[in-house]
Amino acid sequence: MRFRFLLVLGLMLALSACGAGGAATPSATNAPAATTAPAATTAPAATEAPAATTAPAATEAPAATTASTAAASSDGPVRIGILGPFTGGAATVGQEQLNFAKLAVADFNKANGTSYELVEGDTELDPAKAVIVAQRLASDESIYALVGPAGSQEVTAVQPILGPVNLGFISPSATRVDLTEQSFTNFFRVVPRDDVQGATNATFMVDVLKATKVWLIDDQSAYSTGLNDQVELVLKEQGVTATRESITQDDSDFSALVTRIKGDAPEVIFVSWQLAPQAVVFAKQLVEQGVTATLFGADGLFDATNFIEGAAGATDGAYVSFFAPDVSAVAEAKAVVEAYTAQYGNAGPFGAPAYVATMVALEAIQRAEQAGPLSREAVLAELPKTNMESSILGIPITFDAKGDLKDAAFFLFQVKDGKFNLVK
Amino acid sequence: MQAFLNQLPQQLVNGLTLGAVYALIALGYTMVYGILQLLNFAHGDVYMVGAFVGLGTLNALAPKSGLLLPAWAILPLMLLAAMLVCGALGAVIEWFAYRPLRNAPRIAPLISALGVSFFIQNAMLLLLSASYRTMRTEVLLPIRMGFDIGPARMSAVRALVIAVALLLMVALQLLVRRTRLGRAMRAVAIDREAAAMMGVDVDRVIVATFVIGSALAGAAGVLVGLAFTQVWHFMGFTAGLKGFTAAVVGGIGSIPGAVLGGLLIGLSETLAVGFISPTYKDLIAFVVLILVLLVRPAGLLGRRAQPKV
Repeated sequence: MRFRFLLVLGLMLALSACGAGGAATPSATNAPAATTAPAATTAPAATEAPAATTAPAATEAPAATTASTAAASSDGPVRIGILGPFTGGAATVGQEQLNFAKLAVADFNKANGTSYELVEGDTELDPAKAVIVAQRLASDESIYALVGPAGSQEVTAVQPILGPVNLGFISPSATRVDLTEQSFTNFFRVVPRDDVQGATNATFMVDVLKATKVWLIDDQSAYSTGLNDQVELVLKEQGVTATRESITQDDSDFSALVTRIKGDAPEVIFVSWQLAPQAVVFAKQLVEQGVTATLFGADGLFDATNFIEGAAGATDGAYVSFFAPDVSAVAEAKAVVEAYTAQYGNAGPFGAPAYVATMVALEAIQRAEQAGPLSREAVLAELPKTNMESSILGIPITFDAKGDLKDAAFFLFQVKDGKFNLVK
Repeated sequence: MQAFLNQLPQQLVNGLTLGAVYALIALGYTMVYGILQLLNFAHGDVYMVGAFVGLGTLNALAPKSGLLLPAWAILPLMLLAAMLVCGALGAVIEWFAYRPLRNAPRIAPLISALGVSFFIQNAMLLLLSASYRTMRTEVLLPIRMGFDIGPARMSAVRALVIAVALLLMVALQLLVRRTRLGRAMRAVAIDREAAAMMGVDVDRVIVATFVIGSALAGAAGVLVGLAFTQVWHFMGFTAGLKGFTAAVVGGIGSIPGAVLGGLLIGLSETLAVGFISPTYKDLIAFVVLILVLLVRPAGLLGRRAQPKV
């Protein structure tokens, strides 16, 4: 009897959720795309995703929230969303991006007398989860722009959801080249591209490290393979022997690969991985077998807590490239870094671009609001017109026609004395 | 060819370490299957819990300020803590998820096992967040500590992993062959009802099997944490799959078979990485499984089940 009651209750809830989704359709052009997409795209992804049990709950949520916000959207709160890996292997990155974004919203509201709000969406650096979270945020009509996602593979995953609903998004860390080469009109980034990173790194390997033989190992993420393509391109032009290899983000035993590398004796091993703890495991196994080649990482490994402290010396002397300068050395960033340190503790390197990306989003919303009725389309039209004369990254922020940051550069750091030291 | 010969000794050391761990995991699968004809899919997650218990013990006894006990005392304590906790966890899983289904159709406990697996994974995710944890093995056994066997480098950690795994396997074999409990386990494996009629307390034997199998998984978790230093809530999935593969290759239900299967899978994976490419690692492991099953459907040392009349 009781079971039957629950069944009926469940059916009623399901029906009402469907009804609510349907009711929202006429008022919002984006609703059909947002509500029909989950069934098709999330189901296969969810079965592969580690924490698969959260998926069903997440996919049902949009229908309910759409209904409640659709009615209130005329005069309700104005929000931006942030997508980032707030938990998981890249949590240090995500938390820093989130805290800097929070600070940016607070600073902007204080300076302009606005009351914009920030909505969080945790992607765990997993494209499958990013899709689910992006759908949730896309169906919330009080959200007018997004900051994030962090990883390049996530950008490709969420674009098909955000594109049709005209939601502009600005990544504070996705650097893969082709993201801005495939005519996405709603994607922007405040970091340089991997062709800049690849060229910077490869040139450094040849000119400074005098490498003649280099191993390029990717972790099979879109970011990692793309960056290795760029490095390989430049190395080959310079006549350097480049060997490509792949591992997965679940691996923790690299000893067989290390043995092979030892046999080949390269001068440089380039690991464009996203998970710093994993790179440390690799570094330790290099030391274990006595491989002396220089370890060279990219922006995914620029994480002092994991890559330096967790390594117990195994990463000493390693090089890492990064898309932002050391903010503590940028004059424009002084006040922000001080405020951040007071509130959240030490400011790491990933936060500053997130702060800038958030500012870009908020300024666009404000300009759109001043120009006429606020809509996602209006905000999207304002984003390319961004023109910040100075930023805490130490450079002015303007976008080119593809949505890339103009005149962006990569910086190189070396691990020494327990910290990252700027070398170029 | 020259490169192959130069690297072979080191690759054998690498493969042996991995194989020893797979063998330990496979033992738990094979013991439970031998007695209950049940695939305990939660086994890989018990192994993950073991790794976390080892990590917790290490962090408690070796805080950043320095070691509270000498390294030779911390290592056995880590293993002991993980084996105790996992043994208890195994008993709870048996009591909670399998005993009520003892006489249900065989698919029911299988689904229950999957449920337990998801439960443990997500419980750990909620308790400890999804972050990757690093086991600071180097405070106990420095990375460069070890010795050379000809051209191959055997680090102290690897030597420890192989030695402990061997010790546990020998102990298990003695337990099963030489003790009353072992005899009872073999009796239940052959015919549960007949064993019960002969006065064997079947429930007690089944609990003991789960406790021992889970304790071995816990030990494997600690050893993997020590050797590869990375611990996270989802590590049990792949390891469980590999342990299961090893058990099937060796002949599920056979204890020496599990050891042989574990070593075979570990070595073939390592050689695949070393001489082909890391991307072929899992492919080769499962090709080995298929080849073995084609030639010997019951596994290398397995016997075809006699239908009970």
